[in-house]
Amino acid sequence: MVTRVPHHSTRPRRRLRLLLASGVAALALTAGSVVPGNLLAPAPSEARADDGKTTLTVAVAQSVDSLSPFLAQRLLSTSVLRLMYDFLTNYDPKDNKAIPGLATAWEPSADKLTWTYTIRSDSKWSDGQQATAEDAAWTFNKMMTDEAAATSNGSFVGNFEKVTAPSKDKLVITLKEPQATMAALDVPIVPKHLWEKVGDFSKFNNDKEFPIVGNGPFIVTDYKVDSYVKLKANKDFWRGSPKFDELVFRYYKDQDAAVAALRKGEVSFVAGSPSLTPAQSASLENAPDIKVNDAPGRRFFALAVNPGARTKDGQKFGDGHPALLDQKVRHALFMAVDRKTIIDKVFQGHAVEGEGYIPPRFGDYFWKPSADQKLAYDPARAGSLLDEAGYKKNGAGKRVGKDGKPLDFRILCHATDPNDKAIGKYLQEWWGEQGIGLKVDCLDNVSDPWYAGEYDLAFDGWSVNPDPDFVLSIHTCDALPAKAKETASTDNFICDKQYDELYKKQLAEYDPAKRADLVKQLESRLYDTGYMNVMAYPNAVEAYRTDHIESITTMPSAAGNIYGQDGYWSWWSAVPAAGASSSGSSDSGGSSTGVLIGVGIAVVVLAGGGLLFAMRRRSTAEDRE
Amino acid sequence: MTTSMQKPEPLEPDARKPSGQPEKVVPVQSPRALTRARRRQAVARFWRQYRTHRAGLVGLAVLAVIALLALTAPLLVGADSQSVTSAPGGPMEAPSGEFPLGTDQFGRSLLALMLWGTRVSLTVGLLAAFLSVAIGTLIGITAGHFKGWYATVVMRITDWFLVMPTLVLAIALATVLSRSVWTTILAIGVTTWPTTARLVRAQTLSVESRPYIERSRALGGGHRHIMSRHVLPNVMPLVLAQTTLVISTAILTEATLAFLGLSDPTIVSWGGLLQDAREAGAVSSGNWWYLAPPGLAIAVVALAFTLCGRAIESVLNPKLGVSR
Repeated sequence: MVTRVPHHSTRPRRRLRLLLASGVAALALTAGSVVPGNLLAPAPSEARADDGKTTLTVAVAQSVDSLSPFLAQRLLSTSVLRLMYDFLTNYDPKDNKAIPGLATAWEPSADKLTWTYTIRSDSKWSDGQQATAEDAAWTFNKMMTDEAAATSNGSFVGNFEKVTAPSKDKLVITLKEPQATMAALDVPIVPKHLWEKVGDFSKFNNDKEFPIVGNGPFIVTDYKVDSYVKLKANKDFWRGSPKFDELVFRYYKDQDAAVAALRKGEVSFVAGSPSLTPAQSASLENAPDIKVNDAPGRRFFALAVNPGARTKDGQKFGDGHPALLDQKVRHALFMAVDRKTIIDKVFQGHAVEGEGYIPPRFGDYFWKPSADQKLAYDPARAGSLLDEAGYKKNGAGKRVGKDGKPLDFRILCHATDPNDKAIGKYLQEWWGEQGIGLKVDCLDNVSDPWYAGEYDLAFDGWSVNPDPDFVLSIHTCDALPAKAKETASTDNFICDKQYDELYKKQLAEYDPAKRADLVKQLESRLYDTGYMNVMAYPNAVEAYRTDHIESITTMPSAAGNIYGQDGYWSWWSAVPAAGASSSGSSDSGGSSTGVLIGVGIAVVVLAGGGLLFAMRRRSTAEDRE
Repeated sequence: MTTSMQKPEPLEPDARKPSGQPEKVVPVQSPRALTRARRRQAVARFWRQYRTHRAGLVGLAVLAVIALLALTAPLLVGADSQSVTSAPGGPMEAPSGEFPLGTDQFGRSLLALMLWGTRVSLTVGLLAAFLSVAIGTLIGITAGHFKGWYATVVMRITDWFLVMPTLVLAIALATVLSRSVWTTILAIGVTTWPTTARLVRAQTLSVESRPYIERSRALGGGHRHIMSRHVLPNVMPLVLAQTTLVISTAILTEATLAFLGLSDPTIVSWGGLLQDAREAGAVSSGNWWYLAPPGLAIAVVALAFTLCGRAIESVLNPKLGVSR
C-alpha cells in the first residue's frame, strides 16, 4: 500500500529565501551550475511531517543511473538496491563477517565446488508472495545466460557452472573452480514472477511501476530522474521494520548547496561521497544540532602508473612514457612524494597516510610494508635512483635521458575532484625539484584516454569491499582488454605473473586466515612493482542533524561511515529524534552571516554587471541606425 | 545603414591640409614629418576631448593602477607566492595583518594570488578582445566592401554566431580543446566577434558611399588598396572604441569559464580563484574573504574598461556626446 505524504506548503517563504539566496549566489559566481538540484520538488523535507510520519532526507551528490539491479553501477543506485532487495548474505556491521541475509546458512561440499544455501522462509515480497530459492536461482541463471543482465554483477557468476533450486529453501551453486568469495555474493535477488516478463534487460530500468516490489527493509515508492528516490519502510521485513517511515535520497549537484540545506534542516543528512571539504566540516562542527561523522573511509587514493597498455594477446597500444617501464623511475617518483604533507595540507587530517593496497579499516587484509621495503619520502634517495636509472640532471637542472630528451610526464586528473588538482600542484613542485616536468591534464571524462592507454600517470581510487576480491582482480592479466582501447575490467593494465599466481591461490583458499595471508603477499608484490602507489586513505566525512536523527549505526560500528555501507545498517537502524518537530529551521546565526555577506557581494556584483549591460545597451541603441 | 556617423576628423590623406599652415608656404618639411605632426595634433585633440569625460578619466586611472600592479606583481609579492609547498599560512585563514585578504586552502596569501591573477585576467582579456575585434573587423570590412553573395553568406554566418549564446559556444570549444590559456583566448575570441563585424560593416558601407572612394577606384585603386588605405583608417576609431568595450566582456567570460572549471587549473586567475573557493566549500562555510575580492576585482576591471570605452566612443562619435 502506498501512502503518500502530502507535500509541504507550510514554509514557502523559507524555501523562497533559500532559493533566492542560492540563485543570487550562483549568479554572482556567473554560473548556473551551483543551483541546488531541485528545491521545488514536492519532496517532504523535515524529519517529522505534519501527519506524524517520520522522514529521513539524505542529500546525495550523485544521481541514480538505473534502478535495475542488473544495470545499476553507481554507489547511490547500489545502495538503494540494497534497501530494496535482500541479498543472500549480509555483512556484520561490527566486524564485516558474513552473516545471514536471505540465506540462513551456507556450506561448501568436500570438493569445494558445490555450495548449498538454505533460504529463509519468513521473507516475503511486498506483493505478498514468498521469496524462495527459486527466485535466487532464476536471478543467477538470468545473469549467466543473458549478457545484458550481466552488466553490473556479471563478475560474480563468471565462475558458475550451474545454479539450481531443488526445493523452496535450497539453493545449489556448482562452480567451475573453487571460489572463496561465495559468502560475499553482492547480488540483489529479484522476484522471478515479475522479472520473467521483462523483455530486454539492457533497456529495462525498473522505474515504470511504483511501488517496486521488493523484500528489503525499504520499498521504493517514487523516483524522479536526477531529482530524488523516495522509499517507505517495509513493515514486514524479517529483521524488523526500520524506525523511519520514509527515506528520501535527494540529488544536490553542488555539495555546498547540500550543506546549506543541512544547516536549514531541509535535509537530515549530507552524504560523504564525495567527502565534505575540510572547510565545510570545520564550519559544521560548530553549528548547533549537527554532528560531523569523520570516519575511516573504505577508499584508497593512489598514484597509478601506466605500465605500457596492452591487450590480452600482448598487443601494445597507447603512449605511456617509456621511462616508467623502469622500476627505479617509478620508485623514485613515489619517494619524492611527501605523503604526510598531503594528509596535513590537502586532506587537513581527514585521511590516513597510505601504506598497502587495502585500507586499515579492513583489518584482516591490511598490510604494511616493512621498514626496508617501504618507499618512504626521501628526495635524496629518489635523486640517486634516477641517476642510477640513467636520468642525470643537466646544466639547467632538468633530468635528461640518454637520448638527451628531458624527462616530462603527464598525469590524468579528474577535473571534478579538487583533491586531484591540489595534489597535482604539489607533485609539480616536488618532482620539479627532482628535475622532472609534470603536466596536469584535468579532464571531465578521464575514461577515454584511460582506456586508450594514453597517459603516463593517473590519480586512481577504488572503494574496497569487505571481501577484497574485486579490487585485487582488476590488476590481473585476465582483466586486460581483448582488443586495443576497449573497455575492460583492468584498472591500469598491470599484468604480472607472480601477482596472478598469488591471486589464483587466494581465490581458491577457503581457510580465512590462510587466504588473508595470501592477500597480504599479493599486496606486497603490488607494492614492489611500483605501479599502484597508495598515497592516502581518505576519510568519509559526512554530517547529519541530531535533532532529526537520534542514533544511526556506522559500519564498522566502532568508527565507521554511514552513507555507502556494505549493508543496509545505517538507514535500517536510524532512529528518529524524539523532539524532531518540524522546526528544523531555526537559523544558525553564524552560518547565515557568511551567506548574507556572500549575498551582499553578489548583489553588488550583479548591480555592477547590470549597470554595465545597461550602459552597453544604451551605447549600442544609438549605434543602431 | 547608409547614414554615416559624423566624423570630426576624416582621416583620408587628401581631405584636409594640416591646419595652421598657410596654403602658399612652400613645405619645408617632408611629407612624412607632416603626417607625424598631423597625427600628433590629432592625438592631442583627442586627449583634450577625452579629458572632459570624468568617468573616462576615472576608468583610465583605475586601469593604470591595475596594469602597474600586474606588471610589478613579481616584485611586489615574489614568484614563490604561488608555490603550495612553501605556503606560509594555515588553510583558509581569515584576513589578518600578515595576510590582508586571508589565505586559500593551501595557506597561500590570497592577496598575492589576486595580484598574480591580475596578469592572467588582463592578458586573456586583452588578447581575446584583440582576436575578437580582428576577426570582426576583417569580416566586417570584407562584407561591406564586396557585397553580393559573399556578404550575404558571411553576414548569415555572423547572424548565426550572434544568436548563439556566447557562453554555450565558448564552453563547447573549451571542452573540446585541451585546457590552456590559449584555448580560453581562442574560445572567447571566436565567439564574440559578430557585434564588431556588424558595426564595422555598417561603417564600411557608409565610408564606401563617399565620392572619394569612387575617385580612388577611377584612378585604378584595387580592392586591397581601398580596403586598407581608405576604409580601414576610417573604421579604426570605431574599432578602437569597440576593443575597449569587448575587453570587459572578454574578462567576464574568462572568469566565467575559469569558474566553470574550463580553464587551465594550474594557472591562477580571478575566475579560477572563485572556482577554487567554491570547491573548497568557502560558500557554505562563510569564508567571504575568499569569494569577495576576486569577484569585486572582476567587476572593477570590467567597469573600468567600459568607462574608458564609453569615453573614447563619445569622443570619436559626437552623436553620443549628447546623451552623457
